[in-house]
Amino acid sequence: MRLAFEDVSYSYEGGEAKKRRGRRKKDAARQADWGNAPDAVWALRDVTFTVEPGEFFGVAGHTGSGKSTLIQHMNGLVHPTCGRVLADGRDLAEKGVATEVRRQVGLVFQYPENQLFANTVYDDVAFGPRNMGLGAEEVDRRVREGLALVGLSFDELAERSPFDLSGGQQRRVAFAGVLAMEPEVLVLDEPVAGLDPLSREEFLGLIRELHAGGRTIVMVSHSMEDLAALSDRILVLSEGRVFRLGTPAEVFADAAALKAVGLGAPAPEAFAASLREAGFELGRDLYDERTLAADIAAQLAGTPVAAAPDAAVGFAALRAADAVIEGGGDDA
Amino acid sequence: MPDRAIIGQYWPEDSLVHAMDPRVKFILSFVLMAAVFCAATPLSLAVAALFVVGFYAASRIPLLQAIRAIGPLLVLVVLTALLNVLFVQGGHVYFEFGIICISEKGLQSAVFIGCRLLLLLMGMSLLTLTTATLDITAAFERLMAPLSRIGVPAHELGMILGIALRFLPQFMTELGIIYCAQKSRGAHFNANPFRGGIQSLTALLIPLFTSAFRHAETLSAAMEARCYHGGVGTTRLDPLRLTWRDAVGTGALVLMIAAVVATNYVPLS
Repeated sequence: MRLAFEDVSYSYEGGEAKKRRGRRKKDAARQADWGNAPDAVWALRDVTFTVEPGEFFGVAGHTGSGKSTLIQHMNGLVHPTCGRVLADGRDLAEKGVATEVRRQVGLVFQYPENQLFANTVYDDVAFGPRNMGLGAEEVDRRVREGLALVGLSFDELAERSPFDLSGGQQRRVAFAGVLAMEPEVLVLDEPVAGLDPLSREEFLGLIRELHAGGRTIVMVSHSMEDLAALSDRILVLSEGRVFRLGTPAEVFADAAALKAVGLGAPAPEAFAASLREAGFELGRDLYDERTLAADIAAQLAGTPVAAAPDAAVGFAALRAADAVIEGGGDDA
Repeated sequence: MPDRAIIGQYWPEDSLVHAMDPRVKFILSFVLMAAVFCAATPLSLAVAALFVVGFYAASRIPLLQAIRAIGPLLVLVVLTALLNVLFVQGGHVYFEFGIICISEKGLQSAVFIGCRLLLLLMGMSLLTLTTATLDITAAFERLMAPLSRIGVPAHELGMILGIALRFLPQFMTELGIIYCAQKSRGAHFNANPFRGGIQSLTALLIPLFTSAFRHAETLSAAMEARCYHGGVGTTRLDPLRLTWRDAVGTGALVLMIAAVVATNYVPLS
């Protein structure tokens, strides 16, 4: 499914689009005019982008930049004040479309374990499929599959109360509840927030697998490392506007600009930038821990890396770096 | 879900009314209600309205904001007025159809009762608009203190009130999130309550309750960590103190009652 945002603006003041469905068509055609309602609080302003099928789409932004509002547009929980959100060309604000699209766009909120409610894990995971009006057999199949996808044992857990499980397991159950609806697009709001490092890695692995299985993933995260490692493209929001949109390499190329909107480059990339400033020749567009380690090792060994023309330059840079480090040490 | 302004939410401002002692404001708001009830003729009601508007001016709260703050309750005002139109009869009849009969007296009493209710609501919300919840609970606790002699747990009641008020917006926000999350999973809350609707409702309420328990546990731990042990011997950082402003406020209200009662006796020409 292709999700397209066309000049989407959203204001809390103008909210409750439902009440004004009759006026919607006219409003949607109208361009947001910021002078119209100077007091209105705009959570999103003229946001335009498309999530392509099969893509891993990262969303980053400072707290309050409109990320949560943005993803709530993706399955029609809120409708734009101005502009349109199209799912395969159909306007989500039209009657009935949102209900249908909710089956294809699974939205996992932040701390989804807080939304568990049923007596048993089985019933909780089955909530979505049952709401879709599926038969008991199909529901059963989907619950088994959902639990299997998140790596939980059906036989062990299905009849237990979700409230008896550990925090990490609860989150998996909540995840399974959305996966059981078999959505094409999975929208995740901070899926690994508050997890310990191990479960974090496991969870990211799980998300990677789900993506490899053909699902479109939209992931909101505060961790630039996770976004850089997983995303095909990253959308950076700032004060409700699109600040950057592009591949991780493009987005993280300008670390200073990112810093200005309250974000930073991923740690390896930031480190690479500091090394470059100190005179290292690092040629790649985007570094992760492994490639950075390899290139530093290559430089230290005196072997020119791809972008370093000859060893002499490398050594000169190294000496310069040493001088910088020693100078820093004296100051301290 | 957008945050809706809650009825009479505190409106910070630097004014005479804001600076008054919350205990005095607490009592005076009840006196204000009594004063509005005293008004028996349109003229005295107008005088009362003049005073209420004056109090709002003194508190520097824009009147429009005040009326918006009581927004949902305006339905009550309109409903009461409508009932009056239909049930109070007498005088010239303007319109008659079946059992519906709109008469002069009916319209008069509708307008009168409507205005009176509006004034009452505005008077009450003046207290909450100008007083932070912590101060309201402190005032409540202090005013109840004499009752603790006969075994009324004044401090505990004040604490309960304070915590309840504090968590109201919190739970509103959380309910909004849970609502969106379950809706994303296909829950339909306006559906037939006998077919899935009830389950959808539990899907809202159970997470809300578990969250309430979670908050309660964290809060009690946090209170114990700060050595909370009930009200005995607890001192206040800013002790409540009566000032000249309270005298002014009380004076204004006494004046209002006098004016309202006096105008009650002015014959309608």
